[in-house]
Amino acid sequence: MHLDAKIPGGPLADKWDKHKFELKLINPANKRKFEVIVVGTGLAGGAAAASLAELGYNVKSFCIQDTPRRAHSIAAQGGINASKNYQNDGDSVWRLFYDTIKGGDFRAREGNVYRLAQVSGNIIDQCVAQGVPFAREYGGLLANRSFGGAQVSRTFYARGQTGQQLLLGAYSALSRQIAAGKVQMFSRREMMDLVLVNGQARGLVVRNLVTGEIERHGADAVVLCTGGYANAFFLSTNAMACNVTANYRAYQKGALFANPCFTQIHPTCIPVHGTYQSKLTLMSESLRNDGRVWVPQTVGDKRSPDQIPESDRDYFLERKYPSFGNLVPRDVASRNAKEQCDLGKGAGETGLAVYLDFRDAISRDGKDMIGQKYGNLFQMYEKITADNPYEKPMMIYPAVHYTMGGLWVDYNLMSTIPGLFVLGEANFSDHGANRLGASALMQGLADGYFVIPYTIGGYFAGTQLPKITTSQSEFTSAARTVSDRTQRLLSINGKRTVDDFHRELGGILWEYCGMARNDEGLTKARTLIQSLRSEFWENVKVPGVDMDLNQSLERAGRVADFLEFGELMVIDALARRESCGGHFNEGFQTEENEALRDDDNFCHVAAWEYAGEGKDPQFHKEPLVFENVKLTQRSYK
Amino acid sequence: MNWFVSMLGSSIGKKLMMAITGLSFCGFLVAHLAGNLFIYGGRDAFNSYADHLHSLGPLVNLAEIGLLTLALIHILTGATLFYENLRARPDRYSVNKSAGGRTIGSATMPYSGFFLLFFVIFHLFNFHFVDKTHLTIFDIVSKAFSNPIYVIFYILAMIIAGLHVSHGLWSAFQTLGANHPKYMPIIMMVSLVFSLIVGIGFGFLPVYISLIA
Amino acid sequence: MTKTINLTLKVWRQQSATIKGGFETYHASNISTDMSFLEMLDVVNEQLTLDCREPIAFDHDCREGICGQCGSVINGRPHGPEKGTTLCQLHMRHFNDGDTIAIEPFRAKAFKVLKDLVVDRSALDKIIQAGGYVSVNTGGTPDANAIPVPKEIAEKAMDAAACIGCGACVASCPNASAMLFVGAKVSQLALLPQGKPEAARRVTFMVQTMDELGFGNCSNERECEAECPKEISITNIARMNREFFKAGLFSSTR
Repeated sequence: MHLDAKIPGGPLADKWDKHKFELKLINPANKRKFEVIVVGTGLAGGAAAASLAELGYNVKSFCIQDTPRRAHSIAAQGGINASKNYQNDGDSVWRLFYDTIKGGDFRAREGNVYRLAQVSGNIIDQCVAQGVPFAREYGGLLANRSFGGAQVSRTFYARGQTGQQLLLGAYSALSRQIAAGKVQMFSRREMMDLVLVNGQARGLVVRNLVTGEIERHGADAVVLCTGGYANAFFLSTNAMACNVTANYRAYQKGALFANPCFTQIHPTCIPVHGTYQSKLTLMSESLRNDGRVWVPQTVGDKRSPDQIPESDRDYFLERKYPSFGNLVPRDVASRNAKEQCDLGKGAGETGLAVYLDFRDAISRDGKDMIGQKYGNLFQMYEKITADNPYEKPMMIYPAVHYTMGGLWVDYNLMSTIPGLFVLGEANFSDHGANRLGASALMQGLADGYFVIPYTIGGYFAGTQLPKITTSQSEFTSAARTVSDRTQRLLSINGKRTVDDFHRELGGILWEYCGMARNDEGLTKARTLIQSLRSEFWENVKVPGVDMDLNQSLERAGRVADFLEFGELMVIDALARRESCGGHFNEGFQTEENEALRDDDNFCHVAAWEYAGEGKDPQFHKEPLVFENVKLTQRSYK
Repeated sequence: MNWFVSMLGSSIGKKLMMAITGLSFCGFLVAHLAGNLFIYGGRDAFNSYADHLHSLGPLVNLAEIGLLTLALIHILTGATLFYENLRARPDRYSVNKSAGGRTIGSATMPYSGFFLLFFVIFHLFNFHFVDKTHLTIFDIVSKAFSNPIYVIFYILAMIIAGLHVSHGLWSAFQTLGANHPKYMPIIMMVSLVFSLIVGIGFGFLPVYISLIA
Repeated sequence: MTKTINLTLKVWRQQSATIKGGFETYHASNISTDMSFLEMLDVVNEQLTLDCREPIAFDHDCREGICGQCGSVINGRPHGPEKGTTLCQLHMRHFNDGDTIAIEPFRAKAFKVLKDLVVDRSALDKIIQAGGYVSVNTGGTPDANAIPVPKEIAEKAMDAAACIGCGACVASCPNASAMLFVGAKVSQLALLPQGKPEAARRVTFMVQTMDELGFGNCSNERECEAECPKEISITNIARMNREFFKAGLFSSTR
């Protein structure tokens, strides 16, 4: 298979404009003849469904939650980047592009990333017009703050609830289209299968999570905005319902999965404190603007942090990376925290934590100022840990947070299945091997508001789409497969619960395919996952029946897919014989323990093709071409 | 005027009617209490106040019709709200606990309201719709309060009236949209003081009369 | 320091919207006080599953207090006894060994129970669809800094916008009224210059829809404000009232 990314020719800065001009248009009267399915109502899905409906397309929108206002985009705290240069500090489209490419360790496409930087400003304009209450200065203009991986202040924010406010903006636009009758909303539905007719994506089979009914929906194109797969690790900062099922089903139907081993471990999370723990809580990275990260100088120093004098503290990020200090990118910060804990300098009962200290910031700016910036984060921290960060340094530890890998898409955000578009975290395209803070919101909204409305028109204008009905054989057989699988899960009646399997899978992935990986561990992980998977299908216990609200059944289906997908992550990690961004293979590191890329052999996207049950996936390569930036060893010193 | 009816018929419109009529009653209570204070001036002072009031003739009738209209609006709207609010939660909780928002006044509004309705009717039959050809109003009042049961009933009623007003007064401001961080605490304080004045001001009268009688 | 407690749970079980429900008693043993309330329910559910009984259905998603999907009534208090806290952020350290805890679904005519503790809150979506938006299409918007918004206004709008749509205001209101939810959205958009052009239309239709959906009437009991996990103030209700009268009396919206 030849992977054609369809990047337009010409100078980088002109590619998107040129492409928009070249895309064929559909006249307004004809748009209403097309039906589009959008799965997911996060930033990408909500924005896409609303924008497509505004253009005149008939949209069917699906979400797993009880309302389209709850997708996990809502939990992003820190902010959204845009190259507005409102601070006059030297920002530009080019700089945002360069920071993002560099932050991604040169494993993303130039064309896509440049487009992202170009539309970043429009996103802010759009959100402000929707009534998103961004933080402002006393003069009434928008405020900015700085964020990891950048030396300019380009992050727009709404207290610590930026994701929530942006999502509510998209939700309001979506609600408006629902009221106008242009979007049909289906909530509490889970996508169970993708339906292809003549090789084109033409519909879905979904399960109604309240009644258990299997429903069929046809359309002219399907847009997946189904988020990332961090919950493969069981413990992650993702919401409980986040899963890989929709993406995995698309993969099984022929869409290629790109770079599944690129997962991001976020440095500032609240440490794990028990085996029963169901999820991890992220503290916004923006905390690193004012908080200083440290561990005790000496191994085994178990004094309480206020008893440890300045001379006995090691501010290891400031020491090792003098120019970026505490604001080094996420992967670097995470790995360094792990390194300190592995040395035995970790804080807290478990020794799996480092301090994030606001003492100096409070004495510099005052408690009020710090409270204004981070008040709700401090409050959240105190709620969970019962410690007050104004008085005692926070304890933080890295946790899985975001997945850069995803379904392979071209410049139009279309996967290798014609008519199947993939947006937001669900695709792989913009963040390379590591995502910078405040970029996920930017990408989700860029894809949904400003890319898909153009590119889907180009697809419709150039494609023959025969009439279909949901009673035809492709739908019937997909629905039957879904029912069979459900029955199979319910009939096993074994001895272990779904969560028990999930927790074990997560443990394997965290241990062997987490922050640092090596060949031996990865090989072992593969065998462990395989045997866990076969045990699952013999020994899982799923109570209840199918025609009912059955949350155990929902989870069982998702975990079954994670058990297959986990192996794909490991296969990809083994195949990438280098370290880059979120993928750190201990066999490939510089003398200073930094990730060592191999640009001669691995400057490519690894895209995997499903080869059938029990068969190894087939590898495809999309070489990455850098015409505008010079590949350098990332350095934040 | 269709728009006007539908505005008043909305949930906020009904609140508006409760607020405006309620505030009017608060105004009436001030006037009523001021008048009643003549009792402390003794028999002649009080009777002459009553005579002066009745000499206003048609104005009194007009005021009575006004009060009756306000009362009807307040009672009918209140009863509608009570019924609708009950219907809004057909299945009740097995455990009910306040988060600290409610007060005794607010939680008992419909009940204190119903009680006050009966009280007002009773009160009118007691002192208003009585034959005043042979007795002065002061005589009627002092005769009534020579009965300790009457005294207790009136004191109880005035405590309940105070309670009703303690929530009603500030609540009317909130409903009218007058909630400002600078002024709301003052309004809350005024409500409390006003409810105490109503409770004590009216409530002490029967005691006073029964003592001198 | 971690310690463990034992609890007796009285949980509302209801097979579906049409079948009558009732309380059942369960024991939660060796519950670590560091657990969240939902993690405690996870533990109970794991045991129920192994005992071949059906686990308790409850809504939840982000488990960090922002998505608004969780929420049950714990001993008479939506989201439990802690101020400004969602159920997923309520930790077991606020309970004592030997406590009996009653767990019920949010109850209101407008919130149908779907199963056990899971309720249908789509009525809140319908209210937003009636006008809880600014009518701007994607693209063609002015530069974000074209219209300055005073910081105080932006902050007030943000206070209102913090609503997570969990429905605790309805659940806690003695009248099952949705005024705080609606007031918060109306306020957010009425405060900002971007929302002003359609302010009259918005408040009129949102209130109308709220009334049609069977929510109760506000009687200023302030339980919503006291219970709201995002501590949204009833000044937003007052602002909505003002907006409503203004729209009713002075705009041409009917």
